[in-house]
Amino acid sequence: MQKDLETKFLSEFEQNQNIAHKICRVYTTNQSAHNDLFQEITIQLWKNYPKFRGDSKFSTWMYRVALNTAISLYRKSTKTIKTQDIGEIAYKIKATDYDNTEEVQLKALYKAIHKLNDIDKALIFLYLEDKPYKEISETLGISSVNARVKMNRAKDKLKNILKP
Amino acid sequence: MDLLDNYKKAWNNQPEDAHKVSSLEIYKMAQSKSSSIVKWIFIIGIAEFVFLNSLYFLSDRDEVLKTYEKLELVNFMFFSGILGYIILFFFLAKFYQNYKRISATASTKVLMNNILKTRKTVRNYVIFNLGYVAIVTIVVSIASIKMEFEILNTKKLLLIGFIILIATVLILGLLWLFYQLLYGILLKKLNRNYKELSKLDCTN
Repeated sequence: MQKDLETKFLSEFEQNQNIAHKICRVYTTNQSAHNDLFQEITIQLWKNYPKFRGDSKFSTWMYRVALNTAISLYRKSTKTIKTQDIGEIAYKIKATDYDNTEEVQLKALYKAIHKLNDIDKALIFLYLEDKPYKEISETLGISSVNARVKMNRAKDKLKNILKP
Repeated sequence: MDLLDNYKKAWNNQPEDAHKVSSLEIYKMAQSKSSSIVKWIFIIGIAEFVFLNSLYFLSDRDEVLKTYEKLELVNFMFFSGILGYIILFFFLAKFYQNYKRISATASTKVLMNNILKTRKTVRNYVIFNLGYVAIVTIVVSIASIKMEFEILNTKKLLLIGFIILIATVLILGLLWLFYQLLYGILLKKLNRNYKELSKLDCTN
């Protein structure tokens, strides 16, 4: 990669890194898996950046590459059974900044998301990130109608898990 | 209101990840080169060590010992061998240390320093190996000549000396080429990383 391109990439990524962190939280349940996925996303973004033409926002492109990395990595690892240590997903939440209900809700939400399959995880994640259907369909490479149908199913599944 | 909307609020208010990654860390992750190169230097060092030692155990040691006895070099070979192993282990430990250090560093300056250190270790290692082979060859040659000294005339002596010299240079040259191939490529890559890092350091 060219020097100026590298510098640009690094600063853009640094600013948008929270997208990658959130995806890692959705797809992994412990810190070391989180770090591994984060690095894999970084490598994929770096490799693909020269092809990024800037016709969309950096963040939009980042959602696409990062999610697809997570999905394909998750597919590969489905053969190995994963033990879920939900306890670690407290994610150092500062109790002072958030009232307790939100913290409990967030924990429950992650716990529920972790029970979904890889595609549903991506759909729910994009829904939570308030992405329009057009962007969701482009990110996941499916038609807008298909995205809508799949989204409703994913949401139903999530609601069923969340309901006591 | 949808059940999920409540959760969406919690989602939007979730804190950013406590571990903010700096652009240098991103760069290192994307490259993930330096640490893997140094890891390879460590692995190759060990593989070489194991390979050469298995050669030694495969050879007929009684035969070798007899030759040394004839040359009156048993003590020399024993002690130089022990010294050689101590130094070899020292280098392997160094390789490992370099690897550990490089995978753990965070700042450009430290990383660059570690790359330089690794290069120096490898260079010293190669110099040590070549020197060791050279000394052993010279000592063995001199001992052999000494044994046959009475039977040889000056002309023959010179010829043998010349042949031994050529052979030594040839062996050393081959060894050097071997190391150049083995470690040279890795060091070159490491050097490229170093240059990229120094550029990055200037922009920060």
